[in-house]
Amino acid sequence: MQKSNVLECVGLGIDFGGLTAVNDFNIEIGTTDIYGLIGPNGAGKTTVFNLLTKVYKPTRGSVFVNGVDTKNLNTVKANKLGLARTFQNIRLFQNMTVQENVMVGLHNEIGYNLASAIFRLPSYWRAEKKAKERVCDLLSIFGMQDMIEHKAGSLPYGSQRRLEIVRALATSPKILLLDEPAAGMNPAETDELMKNIQLINEKFKIAVLLIEHDMKLVMGICEKLAVLNYGMLIAKGTPAEIQSNPAVIEAYLGA
Amino acid sequence: MLFLSQLINGLQLGSIYALVALGYNMVYGIVKLLNFAHGDIIMVGAYIALFSLNYNHHPVVAALLTVGGCTLLAIVIEKTAYSPLRLAPRLSLLITAIGVSILLQNLAQFFFEARGRAFPADRLLPTGTVSIGDATVSYTSLLTIGISVASMIVLTFIVNKTKLGKAMRAVSEDTGAAQLMGVNVNVVITFTFAVGAALAGVGALMYGVRFPLITPTIGAMLGLKAFVAAVFGGIGSIPGAMIGGFMIGLLEVLVIHMGYSGWADGVVFMLLIIVLLVRPTGIMGRNLMEKV
Amino acid sequence: MQKKFVIPVPVRYAINTVLIAFFLIAANSMIQGGGLGRAQTAIIIQIGYFIILAVSLNIITGYLGQLPLGHAGFMAVGAYAAAIFWRYHFLPDTANIIAGLIIAGVVAGLFGLLIGIPALRFKGDYLAIITLGFGEIIRVLIVNLDWLTNGARGLQMPRSVRYSSFLVVYICVILTCIFIHVIMKSRHGRAILSIRDNEIAAESCGVNTVYYKVAAFVISAFLAGIAGALYAGNFAVLIPSEFDFMMSINILMIVVLGGLGSMFGSVVAAAVLTYLPFLLVPLAEYRMIIFSLMLILMMIFKPSGLMGSYDFSLSRILEKIINFVISKKGGKNDAKV
Repeated sequence: MQKSNVLECVGLGIDFGGLTAVNDFNIEIGTTDIYGLIGPNGAGKTTVFNLLTKVYKPTRGSVFVNGVDTKNLNTVKANKLGLARTFQNIRLFQNMTVQENVMVGLHNEIGYNLASAIFRLPSYWRAEKKAKERVCDLLSIFGMQDMIEHKAGSLPYGSQRRLEIVRALATSPKILLLDEPAAGMNPAETDELMKNIQLINEKFKIAVLLIEHDMKLVMGICEKLAVLNYGMLIAKGTPAEIQSNPAVIEAYLGA
Repeated sequence: MLFLSQLINGLQLGSIYALVALGYNMVYGIVKLLNFAHGDIIMVGAYIALFSLNYNHHPVVAALLTVGGCTLLAIVIEKTAYSPLRLAPRLSLLITAIGVSILLQNLAQFFFEARGRAFPADRLLPTGTVSIGDATVSYTSLLTIGISVASMIVLTFIVNKTKLGKAMRAVSEDTGAAQLMGVNVNVVITFTFAVGAALAGVGALMYGVRFPLITPTIGAMLGLKAFVAAVFGGIGSIPGAMIGGFMIGLLEVLVIHMGYSGWADGVVFMLLIIVLLVRPTGIMGRNLMEKV
Repeated sequence: MQKKFVIPVPVRYAINTVLIAFFLIAANSMIQGGGLGRAQTAIIIQIGYFIILAVSLNIITGYLGQLPLGHAGFMAVGAYAAAIFWRYHFLPDTANIIAGLIIAGVVAGLFGLLIGIPALRFKGDYLAIITLGFGEIIRVLIVNLDWLTNGARGLQMPRSVRYSSFLVVYICVILTCIFIHVIMKSRHGRAILSIRDNEIAAESCGVNTVYYKVAAFVISAFLAGIAGALYAGNFAVLIPSEFDFMMSINILMIVVLGGLGSMFGSVVAAAVLTYLPFLLVPLAEYRMIIFSLMLILMMIFKPSGLMGSYDFSLSRILEKIINFVISKKGGKNDAKV
């Protein structure tokens, strides 16, 4: 195994009551890659995310994060190992403020114990102050630092998607999994998002794996693509290779 | 033979639980609501039967009034308290159901007084016993078991063969999809509550025969144990509710027979917890998974 | 834009401490001096332990978003633990009170742990029914463990251990509210709230949901146990049937009417719902009918409760007033320029 891969899947697969949803999924993602996962609706892309983040237990195969086998880990431990994600159907903490949402992302980094919270020890004040500054820093990527007092549920749709990315970033991931980050955004917003994903990739030096239907976005920023159809990988390669791959064209056009 | 008479005894109690459990089961399957008021509907049914029999109504008339009254009450509750909350969080609905349960208990206490009233069981079902081998078994025990089993067969027929029954199953599988296929979800939900309550009405009659002292709070514990039976058998399964009911009834009779009557309720709840931990879906239930 | 004025933390703490001390001393001297009748004092003490019960249930119902129906069970455990300990009179009074309260909390907390670990595998209705079952099991245990609890006949509380004076109860009330406040306004509190809003998202943010669910259960049970001890210290006889399902429902009503997730709402609702029946004696007969109707109507028309998620904060109000005054002045200055 190469050290430079942040994420590696070997023969990953899952069955739901006899139905194979994903089978023999192999992928290697380098530490600063922007990788795209595409495929028709129902191909199993989100299922792959759920397998990577241990929301589902894989039936077969293994996932390595920085060379560590995640076989016996749960979602929380997978996150601590460096996997952070967003969700296709936005899952924010609706009734909490923007600031609180991001601070939940910083939960493990803040790290003071129960006693320092109860007795308001100096470690509490220090950590809270630092965390609030971090929140502003992270939100400034998307120019959202003025929204900290807003309820997450009251934000416009696009801002909710961006807040989810910020919250995921707050967990200091090694690889960021984005599930249709541009869904519901207009072309201008999508362009902006594209730039921001690239910025995140460069600034934090982390890998990005994204599921997206917007081909302009995918072809624009991804260095490599994997194509999934009926739970099987049908192609992998650079955007140019994928565009001319007959199997991919067949899957998309249904010929 | 002691064993046989205790067995029949347990099955009689169990068949009451099973009838009540079916109501929980069906409602839970459709609206995912633990209908706390279900037990109290039975309490109201028991009072209807009691007054109607004391008024010298023919047993059949009394039975029809009871079943009809329970059904009507359930429809009123569903329409006024539950249906405005169809899109609300589950927690709100559950709290409402608890509120309805407390309301029914206290209204009953207000109108019918807290004291116990004797249920004229002998006017409803024939008294007397029959000998099976060495054991003597009362007619009422056998009739209770028989009526319960018959009710369940009718219910199975309704759910599997009629159009509304098929709609019910469709709604419990996927409400949204059923609606798109042209199923009137509101009608189905009301119908489900009505059928559950009709069974509760039958249960109320059987309860009165078995425990002929009616108070405004009889529904609470009966309802809880029946829910345990429903969970035990597996939420969403008709035979499951039946098996669960019989098991709980037998267990309770066994515990009491062994001389631990003070522990009976505790044992039932202990069983619930163990079952939920070992097999959360119950004996016959299906697995439900949250979609991510 | 003008920078908003914020009261510094030490000042805020000082203001609150002074006010709390003032309230306790003033109210206590009023009661000691006979300013309030015996009956009024009894109601105020009753309100006190219902506040603790409500705010502790609110941790699970309001903050964690689950509905346990066995809160009376934890209360019962605490009540009996404290009562049995107090009756032995090992220690001088003050030490005896404190030790008894701690024992009540710890024993109830252990039960919370015992129940929380299996219960957290369930949500919604299943959790409700499983906690209800545990509550009933606790009651059955108390009734049947005759040698320890004197069973259904009830445990006599000698006058010398009826410790629940105004001062004792309200010191506990205030400490409880502060305790919950400081936990909720920390990373631990945010973790609990995040589980309520979206458990899967919380997990993928690295929040150990299992730990926090159990922790919420244990804290809630611990506080309910203390309330139980205060309850025990208020009566001549401790009867197990008092801690039935209806007690759990009474506590739930307070929390729901006050507003899920609002500690201030729980406090107000505890006071109102406990005092109302005494105020409206002619309506006492309809009490539960009115309360249950309120519960239903509340869920249909205003599910967020009386206070919603609003929490009272004196310093926030002061800040608003100061900022208002500043902005007025600022406005005038701008006009001159």
